[in-house]
Amino acid sequence: MKLLVIEDEQGLCDNIANYFNEDGNICESCGNLSSAIDKLSNYDYDCVLLDIGLPDGEGFVVLDFLKAEMKNESVLVISAKNSLDDKLKGLNFGADDYLTKPFHLAELKARVFAVYRRKAFNTNNKLIFNEILIDLPGRTVEVNENPVILTRKEYDMLLYFIANKGKVISKNALAEHLWGDEMDMHDNFDFIYTHIKNLRKKLLDATENDYLKSVYGLGYKFGGK
Amino acid sequence: MKLSAHYNRVSMIITIVVLLCGAVIYYFAVNYIAREQLDRDLSEEIEEVIDYVNVNGKLPHQVDFDEDQTTFIKTKRKNLQTRFFDTVYNNPKEKNTEPGRATTGLISLKGEYYIVIITISKESTEYLIQIIVTITLTLMTGLLLILFLTNRYILSGLWRPFYTTLNELKDFSLSDNRTLQLKPNKVDEFRELNEAVNAMSSRVKNDYRHLKDFTDNASHEMLTPLSVITSKLDTLIQDETLKPEQFDQINDIYSATGKLSRLNHSLLLLVKIENNLLDDAELLSLDGLISQKIRQFNELLLAKDILVSEDLSEKEITASKYLIDILLNNIFSNAIRHNKQHGQIIVTLTANKLLFQNTGADKPLREETLFERFQKGQRSEGTGLGLTIVKNICSLYHWKIVYTFENSFHNFQIFFK
Repeated sequence: MKLLVIEDEQGLCDNIANYFNEDGNICESCGNLSSAIDKLSNYDYDCVLLDIGLPDGEGFVVLDFLKAEMKNESVLVISAKNSLDDKLKGLNFGADDYLTKPFHLAELKARVFAVYRRKAFNTNNKLIFNEILIDLPGRTVEVNENPVILTRKEYDMLLYFIANKGKVISKNALAEHLWGDEMDMHDNFDFIYTHIKNLRKKLLDATENDYLKSVYGLGYKFGGK
Repeated sequence: MKLSAHYNRVSMIITIVVLLCGAVIYYFAVNYIAREQLDRDLSEEIEEVIDYVNVNGKLPHQVDFDEDQTTFIKTKRKNLQTRFFDTVYNNPKEKNTEPGRATTGLISLKGEYYIVIITISKESTEYLIQIIVTITLTLMTGLLLILFLTNRYILSGLWRPFYTTLNELKDFSLSDNRTLQLKPNKVDEFRELNEAVNAMSSRVKNDYRHLKDFTDNASHEMLTPLSVITSKLDTLIQDETLKPEQFDQINDIYSATGKLSRLNHSLLLLVKIENNLLDDAELLSLDGLISQKIRQFNELLLAKDILVSEDLSEKEITASKYLIDILLNNIFSNAIRHNKQHGQIIVTLTANKLLFQNTGADKPLREETLFERFQKGQRSEGTGLGLTIVKNICSLYHWKIVYTFENSFHNFQIFFK
């Protein structure tokens, strides 16, 4: 997957690029509108991560440009403004998703994957990870052609883990993804444990692989070695 | 007491005092003039008697002419100072006594001396004085009445622009966008007052807007560094050489960062509610939203083994879905977070109120500061803005929120208008 990160905060930009680069993705970055337009007119990307507040203007310009040039990039808007207006504006201008700062890299990656998958839906609506096969429109999971029955939360969790395979995901990020940050659990993540335990057991029974590993008290890591 | 009443009282007192003094002085002056006149008349009478005696060589008959009573008394005295004095006048016609004025003089006739006393009635003079006093008093009363009415009606008319301005000021609110409706005025003082009020209100509004913008901008500006911290942490935990103690530290940083970003979002939300920027009101089924919210919180409820009972009647409200979601979130999170293991939550919705009851600490919360910003329980991990947001959302829709503590249940009641 080829990505373009348009973000003026260098520290953030680098981290996003690093996080995405690791599994064979190509991630480029630029810090302002003009260089973004420049890059977009010369190259094709699968997905664009777009910050709305840029030093030389609002990121909406990029959306306009992509529309005018009939380009097919998926766009995920990142904004410091948690305002409904910006969100609606972004989505109306042709963005595929919207993420508010601050966000976890795991969340960003899951969103980017979701957006990317949606774009590639016509050709491929199955997600395959080792022996696990996920039918995305049907929201069903099969292992070696045997169905695995997962609850909604477990299914969401599995997709999230697969998008971030090989990465340590903090409990905060996982809780935010599954329950939203509005729920305000205040660092009591004990209840996540039950869901993790169930998912791990189901996967273990079906695949005989222990994909889920706990990383100290901090979080979880998905992916066999 | 109103200014006009103050003014009325002072002006009345001054008017009455001045008029009374005036009346007294007037009375004495008139009295003095009238007496002088009488005395002059009496002197003339004496002259006439003396002339008569000199011409005719005899005393005049003791007849009353011009209603004057003349008396002659033989005396041995050789000299007598002419003097005037008040006396009693016997009116023979009406057979009564009246106040009178008399004078005495000495006349000599053929070597004999006589004291002549002439008395005249003062009644007509007194009558005149009475009339003058009556007229004066009537005028005085009339004047007082006119002054009173003038003060009352004309003054209040004059002050009307002042009260208009005052009422506008009373309705003045920083948060609404209405400007003051001050009428142009011809009176300099009121025009100046209106100008000053206008200038002040626009300055205050300006300052307030700057302050809000500042909160807004500051919170926004903080979000990017927060993203950097979060992303750095997310990257840092990928390092497999980290020691368990370091993970503990990182966990604490995660917590603090999470709290900071929640705080930031809450502040931004408060600014938005106060500015009434979320005007996406729609018709919502509150009972449906509450049931949905209970399902959403299911895991948290199970984790603490909290029993939820709901008694929801159908209720539709017109409000922003986003805000109602936050309101329910905050109330539910509080009810769960401050609950005890195996606790209880009761949600009751009727046509005019929504009641949340939850078990928890066995003593009432401090009601007066409960909804204030950054007031939170000692062990609370919250931002201290949750209930402030709830309250602000309620006041946005003109609902009333009340907290009570009964039978070890903490009750939050929202009364719809």
